[in-house]
Amino acid sequence: MSDLAALIVAFPMLFSVVALLAGLVRQETGWPVAVVGMAVQVLVAAALANRAFEETIRYVVGGFSAPYGIELVVDGLSATMVLLVAVISLAVLAYSRVAGPRTNAFYAVYLLLVGGLTGMSITGDVFNMYVFLEITGLAAYALVASGDGGRSALAALKYLIVGTIGASLFLLGIGYAYIATGTLNMVDLSQQLAEVGYTDPLVQASFALLVVGLFVKVAVFPLHAWQPDAYAGAPDSVSAFISALVSTVAAYALIRIVYTVFTVEFLQANPVAQTLLAAGAVVSIVFGSVLAVSQNEIKRTLAYSSVSQFGIVVGAVALANETAMIGATIHLVGHAVMKGGLFLTVGLIATASGARAVDDYEGLIQQLPLGAGVFGVLALSMVGVPPAVGFVGKWYVVLGAVEAEAWPLVVVILASTMLTLAYFARVLERIFFRDPDGGRVDVSRLSIGMQVTVVVAALAAVALGMLAFEYGQMLQPTVAELLA
Amino acid sequence: MESLRPLAAVLVTAAATVPILASRGRPDLREGWTLLAAVANLAIVGSMVPGVLDGTVYESTVGTLVPGVEFTLQADLLGVLFGLVASLLWLVTSFYSIGYMRGLDETDQTRYFAAFAGSVASAVGIAFAGNLLVLFVFYELLTVATYPLVSHDETDEARAAGRKYLTYTFGGGVAVLAGAVMVYWLTGTTAFTPGGIAGLSGVDLTLARVAFGLLITGFGVKAALMPLHSWLPDAMVAPTPVSGLLHAVAVVKSGIFGIARVVLDVFGPETVAEIGMGIPLAALAAFTLTVASVIALRQDNLKRRLAFSTVSQLSYIVLGLAVGAAAAPSQASAYALVGGLLHIPAHAFMKLTLFFCAGAIHVETHTDDISDMAGIGKRMPLTMTAFGIAAAGMAGIPVIAGFVSKYFLLIGTVSAGYLVFTGALLLSGILNIAYFWPVVYTAFFESKDENDEKPLIEGVLGGRLFGHDAALATDGGHADDGDDAANGDHVDGDDAANGEHVDGDDAVDGEYDEHGYADDHEGDHGHPHGGDWDVRGWGGQESTWFMLGPILFAAGGSIVLGVIPDTAVFLEIVREIVFAVTGVRV
Repeated sequence: MSDLAALIVAFPMLFSVVALLAGLVRQETGWPVAVVGMAVQVLVAAALANRAFEETIRYVVGGFSAPYGIELVVDGLSATMVLLVAVISLAVLAYSRVAGPRTNAFYAVYLLLVGGLTGMSITGDVFNMYVFLEITGLAAYALVASGDGGRSALAALKYLIVGTIGASLFLLGIGYAYIATGTLNMVDLSQQLAEVGYTDPLVQASFALLVVGLFVKVAVFPLHAWQPDAYAGAPDSVSAFISALVSTVAAYALIRIVYTVFTVEFLQANPVAQTLLAAGAVVSIVFGSVLAVSQNEIKRTLAYSSVSQFGIVVGAVALANETAMIGATIHLVGHAVMKGGLFLTVGLIATASGARAVDDYEGLIQQLPLGAGVFGVLALSMVGVPPAVGFVGKWYVVLGAVEAEAWPLVVVILASTMLTLAYFARVLERIFFRDPDGGRVDVSRLSIGMQVTVVVAALAAVALGMLAFEYGQMLQPTVAELLA
Repeated sequence: MESLRPLAAVLVTAAATVPILASRGRPDLREGWTLLAAVANLAIVGSMVPGVLDGTVYESTVGTLVPGVEFTLQADLLGVLFGLVASLLWLVTSFYSIGYMRGLDETDQTRYFAAFAGSVASAVGIAFAGNLLVLFVFYELLTVATYPLVSHDETDEARAAGRKYLTYTFGGGVAVLAGAVMVYWLTGTTAFTPGGIAGLSGVDLTLARVAFGLLITGFGVKAALMPLHSWLPDAMVAPTPVSGLLHAVAVVKSGIFGIARVVLDVFGPETVAEIGMGIPLAALAAFTLTVASVIALRQDNLKRRLAFSTVSQLSYIVLGLAVGAAAAPSQASAYALVGGLLHIPAHAFMKLTLFFCAGAIHVETHTDDISDMAGIGKRMPLTMTAFGIAAAGMAGIPVIAGFVSKYFLLIGTVSAGYLVFTGALLLSGILNIAYFWPVVYTAFFESKDENDEKPLIEGVLGGRLFGHDAALATDGGHADDGDDAANGDHVDGDDAANGEHVDGDDAVDGEYDEHGYADDHEGDHGHPHGGDWDVRGWGGQESTWFMLGPILFAAGGSIVLGVIPDTAVFLEIVREIVFAVTGVRV
């Protein structure tokens, strides 16, 4: 079982091929293959996480030792990401049996995306990270395009163009780093970059390109423009899946690049870098929320909400202290659960009632109490009502900001509670305190899987809040090493 | 002492939400769950009172919330004070709610009762919070639980009031969180320690002031400190039991409670004096006291008048706490603290009586404005008597609860030497009489045929100089009433000649009332007023006992608290709290 690290990336890819081939034999066999694959993935991820939190796992691919070969590194942070990807993929599958696209091709690409995300999470080589970033991106573009109608295709095209630009910037950044040091291995890079000097223009340019490239993928304002269209144009299960995972793993990549490759010393030598990150954070939080308030379509509101929430994570990254990093991780996990849950709920509501606009949600509590109730719980946990997970992440980040005495960031992150309330209260008021229009609601179109998944998401949002402290304790050694 | 009781008190009411929601189609069963939860809650809280008075602190720890902060619920003296008030009055309000909601045949009653249960669970959670962060958790949950109650009517006005309420209270919550983070950062803990957290007394002055300011602002929103009070009058659009229990007892008292915790158990009175925040807070409280009373004079809607009265009375408590802090450590400080803290239960009983009366009037007669309430004492004698008793207590008349707390407050402010605040309290007493007496007067001593306009309510601000209003005339002149002209046998000015006019108001300043009728003209003139009120006796025929019982209980409670406050346990608890914090026994 020492090859677990490599297998966890290989399995989804394998199952992807199996799904494709199975489609040649018999239609609609994609879903069962995907479920089996994801179940295996969850088990392997759990096993990996169990070991990784005690001691970082290092695995060399193909026997080519570092720094020439590709190394896979699984520490607490990576293990969290891998487990998160596996669990959420399985949950979305539970939802999409009846609701989602059913073609084998869809599930083949779905599994490919899981493989890409997992690879991105555990790789220890920057170029390998780029490869997995592109695999993730291409699979995501294809999934977004899998919806019916021209809207999905257009959204996917926009996502493709902007995403490729982002990935290309990332590649350029890698190139510059390679020219400066001659190595692509992350740990080795960190040592070599230190030798080259953190104030060397080549190193600074590399940092800037890498960070901006990832900003595109994380959808930091103003590089976020692909996100509302992609989330709104994609089928509901795809929106849930990408919103929960793709930007999350991209944010993980940002953390990895900033702290493992460039290290805290780089940030200390270049205060402008910290300012860049903090500025991106502040602008995202504020403008994401402001734009979210004015949206008519619920999925676009949620997309802008993501822009705002990731601003909090990027802000935490800018702070460079332990408390903030733990907060960033908790918020990444929590947001994945909450945002994924919200998109699944929106999909459930749309399936039952056809409601896609915010105004269509009037009086939903009377027609669809389950969907309305779950939406309420998830929305409130996003706002930051304790003890749900949205609050805990924010607490850590705010505390980290106070420790770092970054007062503007403190004020903005605290204000984000009110800003988030602004766009969610609109929807909640319509759901709970208005009378329905008279649209027809057909509950029989909802499968058990759909209903169970959304309820579990809501319960998880609250439960994770209570468990977050223990998780923070477990993560602490990893974070300490990250910041060393 | 480790005990499950604080946790149980919170959980029993929170858990009641589920069966209430499940009993959607069976109103009697649903109400049964509410009452069962209320009784259980009161029993649990009440059972802790003797132990707490002896010095035991009951603690339930559920785990760690965030590093360094445990999720503790503790029933100490201050917690039990608020917890007992909330639990006892919830039971009373549950009965009242049943009468009120059924009397008006309201919609969405299940949502109402479920949200009510959630609100009380949060309020008890606030009472028993063991540190600032747990208090914050329940503070936010209280906002979430009470929002559906504010927007209950689902009219545009109700929704607007709900939005305002959410904005203000969540904003307050953010300020509390900011303050809590600062306290944690400065001292490494947020746990409540009687006399204040030790680490806060030596920190940098600006940071301490910022932390204090943030916490007071955050809690001050719910405590309706001016200028953060504006959500409260608008929230009066909610059903009256909500206005009563929540916006006169639970929600606003939780803000006050938060301020009490900050002043007594986070910073401690002496540290507050050291950082020089005692007097500014007292000044703000005194300002709120007086200005809110003045605004109340102008309100015609009874519930809005009561809302502003609440804003004013809550600041009595804040004044007591602030003067207690500013004068610490001394006996004056102890007196002020006792006065402020005792006003928590005293005001709760009195204000609840007043709101219950307003609600009963609304259900029975659909009257909301004071100008329509002339003679209503005939129709609702018990209700209006209770109103009168509670109003007297608000003004500080002896025998009723408000006098006892005011007495302590006055002694405290005088002994501390802050005569400005004593003056503000006395002025407020007069203003209280000024805005409550017209209601009692018009109910009992006027009738629909025979009532005057109330100058304070209906007069133009600033007065009239040369009235083009026909009512203004010099001695001996005529009021050009359409009615008078029709009848012709009234000559208003001929007081001496006719001997028919008995209204004392005529003699004042030459300003004439609209109707100058003597008693024997009642009903003679075919007034456009419509029939007078039905006369109902004193045996409870005016309304249902679901509503009358709670009204009389609350009024009775106000009298009991005014006559035997120590035996009624509240003053004893308050004396122990102050002794624990300051070391002075009063």
